[in-house]
Amino acid sequence: MKKPECIKLLDKKLDQNVLVVTPTGKTYMYWEATGREAQISQLNLGLCTPAGLGLALALPHRKVVVLDGDGNLLFNLASLADVAVQNPGNLIDIVFDNECYQSCDSFPSVTSKGVDLEILAKGCGIKNAVTVRELKQFENALDQALAGNELFFIIAKVEPGEDLVTLPRQEGRENKYRFVRHIEKTENIRVINPYARRRKKDFIPSN
Amino acid sequence: MKEGAVEAIVTGLKEAGINFISMLPDSDFTDTQKAVMADKDFKCVPVSNESIGFGVCAGAWLGGRKPALLITTDGIMASAFPLTTLNMQKNIPVLMVIPYRGRLGDGIWFMGPMGATTEPILKDLQVAYTVISKVEEITAAIKNAQLSAEAWLRPTAVLLTGEIIFEEA
Repeated sequence: MKKPECIKLLDKKLDQNVLVVTPTGKTYMYWEATGREAQISQLNLGLCTPAGLGLALALPHRKVVVLDGDGNLLFNLASLADVAVQNPGNLIDIVFDNECYQSCDSFPSVTSKGVDLEILAKGCGIKNAVTVRELKQFENALDQALAGNELFFIIAKVEPGEDLVTLPRQEGRENKYRFVRHIEKTENIRVINPYARRRKKDFIPSN
Repeated sequence: MKEGAVEAIVTGLKEAGINFISMLPDSDFTDTQKAVMADKDFKCVPVSNESIGFGVCAGAWLGGRKPALLITTDGIMASAFPLTTLNMQKNIPVLMVIPYRGRLGDGIWFMGPMGATTEPILKDLQVAYTVISKVEEITAAIKNAQLSAEAWLRPTAVLLTGEIIFEEA
């Protein structure tokens, strides 16, 4: 199974309102190419799953999908335990496990040496933890996760190697603003408050 | 904690609009952490290390919550990476309330380096901070720190000195 075909399937299956959290690297670039607004990207080593957890807890009525990687998750493996304890039913945490650090000439990660993320997740208490190796299995797991309201942890074993992609034009802050404006629009809330203290008499009241 | 300090912190957090708190249990902050955990105005998310807490708080902020971290000086050291790659790179705000260990009067041998490193590290990580030594100044300091965090899209910190955190000081 190759990561780009999983991404293509995700793009087909996920509603535009699903909030997607991605790490740096090719996973982000594949997802960025879908042109979706509701994605927060480039969450570096170990921070993708924690940010997805915070987002899922902040907006429990929205589905949140994390597209993590084995190296990224391993950097902050304890976050798996914290996700399990919080147990947000709206979170689907997908780990693309290519058993290596792709950007470092495929230097092997510990999952290539027998470390089993599914067993670790189940040991933390995530009952819906599943490892998939074929696209059809990935689709089935995804359908199951999207249909219900339970925490899912899907380890998608993917082949090492990445496709060539167009370099994205936006950097991290622009991505953040786009995501936040999406949240403000769809949730009818204010997130960014650049004039937190000003003379009230000079302005029209706003929320 | 000095009498009234826990109440002043909780009041400050509420008046600042904080509604999401992440923490790692800390002996200096036990009463404060218990108080916020028991308070339904806060969604509390204990984490296994502080760097996870920064990620969780960033996600919560992106989802429209107003997050704060109740963490130790050690927690700042453990969180240099998320403070750099999330808060500094992406300009994501978060409020921190921190018992400031390692200043003169601290009688634990291993706390000395915290006093030497905390403020330089906060400066390097572009965290705007204030140092508070009086209980009656806590609430306003927390409100001001959150107000500026929101406006500047930067992390801010309120450091509480031994005069507040040591009951016998």
